[in-house]
Amino acid sequence: MMRFKTLLKHPADWMTGHTAETSVVVTSRVRLARNIRNAPFPGWARKNQRRELLESLHGRLEALPEMKSGFSHELSSLDSLQKQVLVERHLISREQAARNEGSATVVNRKQTLSLMVNEEDHLRIQAIRPSLQLREAYHLAHKVDRALEKDLPYAFHPKWGYLTACPTNLGTGMRASSMLHLPGLVLSDQIGQVLKGIAKLGLAVRGLYGEGTESLGNLYQISNQSTLGESEEDILARLSKVIGDVARYESQAREKLMTDDPLMVQDHIGRAAGILTYARIIASKEALTHLSMLRLGADLGVMPEELVETCDRLFMETQPAHLQWDAGSKLEPDARDIMRAQMIRDQLRSALPPAIDISGSKH
Amino acid sequence: MKCDLCEEKATVFYTQIADGKLKKFVLCETCAQEKGITNPDGLLMAEQVLDHTLSVPETEVVLGSSTECSVCGFGIGNYQKVGRLGCPECYDALAREISERIPTLHKGGAHVGYIPAGLVATQARDAKLNDLKSRLSKAIDAENYEEAGRLRDELEKVTPVVAEEPVTESEL
Repeated sequence: MMRFKTLLKHPADWMTGHTAETSVVVTSRVRLARNIRNAPFPGWARKNQRRELLESLHGRLEALPEMKSGFSHELSSLDSLQKQVLVERHLISREQAARNEGSATVVNRKQTLSLMVNEEDHLRIQAIRPSLQLREAYHLAHKVDRALEKDLPYAFHPKWGYLTACPTNLGTGMRASSMLHLPGLVLSDQIGQVLKGIAKLGLAVRGLYGEGTESLGNLYQISNQSTLGESEEDILARLSKVIGDVARYESQAREKLMTDDPLMVQDHIGRAAGILTYARIIASKEALTHLSMLRLGADLGVMPEELVETCDRLFMETQPAHLQWDAGSKLEPDARDIMRAQMIRDQLRSALPPAIDISGSKH
Repeated sequence: MKCDLCEEKATVFYTQIADGKLKKFVLCETCAQEKGITNPDGLLMAEQVLDHTLSVPETEVVLGSSTECSVCGFGIGNYQKVGRLGCPECYDALAREISERIPTLHKGGAHVGYIPAGLVATQARDAKLNDLKSRLSKAIDAENYEEAGRLRDELEKVTPVVAEEPVTESEL
């Protein structure tokens, strides 16, 4: 099995390989919620019941061919920093990070599949793919689901489908979402209108880290709201269409901005580059805002193309837990802001070398 | 609500129609068990009750909505507070409350989409079993013993089968 350290050393499969398709739709995720008959849901189960369920599942999950030489840990064996790192990588949910005994996570080597035991439901199967590939993500998760259903007595109701801890997930138990980078719609003040339209279609829009999180770095997650009364195929088709439409609006907005007001766009990108290459202290939110502009610049060809991947990596690696993991110690917010600025400068140096050294030292 | 027979909390609600009169009573789990109807699973319970009706033909039991799941003890009050249920079986115990909420949460009221393969196989087998059984009894009624013999052989073949590979799979 893979160690935590090894997991972090390798970027997730979906973080590398930037193409024109990932310029707006960064990732696509699908998760399936499954539960076992006659066992209390994790939120209601006693500690020993949770542990029993975990014991009955864990071995089977680790034995899946997809999970070979993957990462498998009980949440109780991870410290709070490690858990937070997994949340920042979208490998476990914030809800699961709050859990300890009787909860576990199994992640495949490529970090495209993650299985969560005793999160809100007994089992959650999650698949992540780059760009708009919701169907491909579903297939990954579905394959695991089908392998598991042979032995696991899933709770399934003839009318309500897969039974879940929360009735909002009944039916398919499937939540599909894509992460979109929408700076063009934000800069052209069209974002509010677009988000309103999405909500009207019965879809949900959230920030970078899911429910209740604000939008940072112009990143938005669009997902299905309803899981009952519509087949997986229909949900994915409807969602893919809307996400495709939003991606097109974004591309049009970028083009229009470059035609109508190129100076404004260049100003945003230039300021972002200036701040990121010279800042000594930078908070997470500010960093995300500027990284978003830099990524836009790279997508528009104003900045070196390699910066798209650098920005995507920095989106994650400048998050608090990743920074502290990198530093090897717990850091107070002030110290993190210094580390963050340093990390950004280091990673941008090859593409955007600073003209002068303001520190007087080598860095 | 208290059980009609003791001081315990009532979790099973009965509607009995006897001699053309409607009678309602509520029981706790223990008393319900003593009365011989114990399975908390709504569907299974209905089947069990159907068997009972053979000996007590005037009694009809209607599953009501209880205030607590008899499998895990989760109360409906908790559901309103936390928005989650205690266990998969709560869906039967809290059927009414859930049914009322579903239209506000989802596009439809019934599952459309993938069904676990094992379940499809079981359902197909059950359907085949029922079909064979009814044809067998018809053949016996019609004194068509040759046909009945053939159907009985077929029934024997189907009965012990453990769920095989999926009959149909919804693939994208």
